[in-house]
Amino acid sequence: MECTWTGNQNKLPNITGYWKKDGNEIDSRLTVPLENEQYNLKGVFDIVGEESLGNYSCVFGSEAKIEFVLAAPQMGEVRDKPIVSYAGDSVVIACKMEEPKPKPSTWHWYKANGTDKALIDAAAEPHRYQIHSEGGKSTLTVRNLTQADAGFYYCGAVYLISTSLGRLEVRVITFLEPLKPFIAIVVEVLVLVAVILLYERKSKKKSITGSQKTKKEKRENSGGEESSSVRQRKV
Amino acid sequence: MAPAAAANLGYTPPDGGWGWAVVFGAFICIGFSYAFPKSLTIYFKAIQEYFSVSYSEIAWVSSIMLAAMYAGGPVSSILVNRYGSRPVVMLGGLMVGIAMVTASFGKSIMHIYLCVGVIGGFGLAFNLQPALTIIGTYFHVKRPLANGLAMTGSPVFLSTLAPLNQFLLDSFGWRGSFLILGSFTLNCCVAGALMRPVHKQIKPKPNAEPPKSNGPAHEKAATEDTHAQSAGLKFVDWSLFRHRGFMIYLVGNVIMFFGFFAPVVFLAPYAKHQGIDEYSAAFLLSILALVDMFVRPGTGLIANTKWIRPRIQYFFSLAVAYNGVCHLLCPLVPGYVGLVLYAVFFGVAFGMVSSLLFEVLMDLVGAHRFSTAVGLCTIIECGPVLLGPPISGALVDIYGDYKYMYYACGVMMLVPGIFFLIMHYYNYKKLDEEERKRQSEAMRMRSGLSVRVEGEEEHVKMSQVDETADEADG
Repeated sequence: MECTWTGNQNKLPNITGYWKKDGNEIDSRLTVPLENEQYNLKGVFDIVGEESLGNYSCVFGSEAKIEFVLAAPQMGEVRDKPIVSYAGDSVVIACKMEEPKPKPSTWHWYKANGTDKALIDAAAEPHRYQIHSEGGKSTLTVRNLTQADAGFYYCGAVYLISTSLGRLEVRVITFLEPLKPFIAIVVEVLVLVAVILLYERKSKKKSITGSQKTKKEKRENSGGEESSSVRQRKV
Repeated sequence: MAPAAAANLGYTPPDGGWGWAVVFGAFICIGFSYAFPKSLTIYFKAIQEYFSVSYSEIAWVSSIMLAAMYAGGPVSSILVNRYGSRPVVMLGGLMVGIAMVTASFGKSIMHIYLCVGVIGGFGLAFNLQPALTIIGTYFHVKRPLANGLAMTGSPVFLSTLAPLNQFLLDSFGWRGSFLILGSFTLNCCVAGALMRPVHKQIKPKPNAEPPKSNGPAHEKAATEDTHAQSAGLKFVDWSLFRHRGFMIYLVGNVIMFFGFFAPVVFLAPYAKHQGIDEYSAAFLLSILALVDMFVRPGTGLIANTKWIRPRIQYFFSLAVAYNGVCHLLCPLVPGYVGLVLYAVFFGVAFGMVSSLLFEVLMDLVGAHRFSTAVGLCTIIECGPVLLGPPISGALVDIYGDYKYMYYACGVMMLVPGIFFLIMHYYNYKKLDEEERKRQSEAMRMRSGLSVRVEGEEEHVKMSQVDETADEADG
């Protein structure tokens, strides 16, 4: 990592520069000369593993500080709402490390066990678990779901320096749950259709008897009882 | 002056009463037909992950459903001509319900294609056609308003189904949601129950028209009626292709549909492309739907007025052209404010055309042949409707910019608009000529039959001539 600082008003010919990791000084302090109106501080660090990651800062005297964050690539969008699936059915959960970010060397899947994470070994239980990983994408298929399978799952994108985790939640419900609103709506439909058709039959009967009565009355009294026949027809 | 084709129904439609219940039923059917396929896209990601398929494979569900809906048009027309609207709608509702329930148990993406796509699509076709047709039987004077109100079903249902589907997905996953949606779509059967066949009581017409015109007019209506019925039983009513108004409508619509839906599909992506965040982009669509919701009945109301109704084809042509102008101007107003303005103006344009789309067809071919006509239209319009968005998408991909797509859509709407204006001017002139010929022939027939009471006959002739002159000018 390299830091370049153009300095402040009093351009001292020399200034002390040093590196910090997570707030603690590392290596020895150096004297940085002013070259071309700039101070240059270079640091070479070996990244050996997880311990090598963290917040690095280069400091010039007591005046300037530049921060670097060294971390493994983080997963972008992981679904935060639970994935709902059904007992006896299977569920497929997926994690993705999108394009410009480097692809992990491998993927691991874990099931949360209280505060612990238990590694899922697909080879040991092939009828239950299936992991399919391809470069930047990995899917875990869990078959024959039971209530015990509900909970949090972690996908880990494994890099040499560390593993990047993503969390997904799986909810397992039975088919009875959506069945209740289903039956409720079907009942509603049947009731409404019956009501509408019965109402129609009733009003048809009324208009038929009404018009029959008016025909009879018209034949009987030619003009006298107009008003009553009109009233009946309106009903 | 109402055009000749529409006046010869042979009975007086109620224009109200139970008709408004029928409009409500049609509202539900049209809402499901247009909004249901679009709202299902919310489940695509979940289904895609479950079956481990690519996005284009899952997008096929939409295309198959839409294609089945349009292809089912002629089948629907034949059934409606034969059995009336009610049984077809109830069958359609049942089909969609069973399709969704079966799909909820699906074991492969093929099941989804067949159930949701094919059976669901056909079920929706059996909802759309009869709903439109039955309005023509219940309404004549207030028909544009009734059509406008019924077509409002589409934006209303889209606005409610979208959040509902999201809620269902989060609560029950896609399988449970399909099950519940299956029962929800059974409400189309309720709408079908409302579609009581109209009581065709031939009442004597009010005394505005002199009695002489009833004779030949009724005869013509009777022959048209039987002709239409026998035509409905045939597989395709080829005589429609010789109908001047129908051909104008068809040709214009085919071009128009290439550019009608694409701007809606690409509104949110265009906004995101300009750097606007996802929620504001989605909000643009909500603005569009909200404006659409109010413009549709409003347009129906305006189209019903005595100034617009006689020349409703011009109103429709202007609405189509206005759409084109909106799209052509869209790339010129960058930024979120510009897009909001565009969404509002486009919402008005979209609502106007949607509200009038089927009313003008009814106006041209009349209520009897409407069922067959709309069936033919949907299957021919199937092509541009399905090809429009992908072609627009290709334009965006090739040029890397949305403005060429908007220009193309603008042209696709403006050209048919102008085409309609010119052709309908010609068509109206021809229709007026034909009407005048018919009136003078009827007059000649009558004067040939009348008894020789000179004074009276002359008096009758004079009043007839005055009335004919009035009608020709109106």
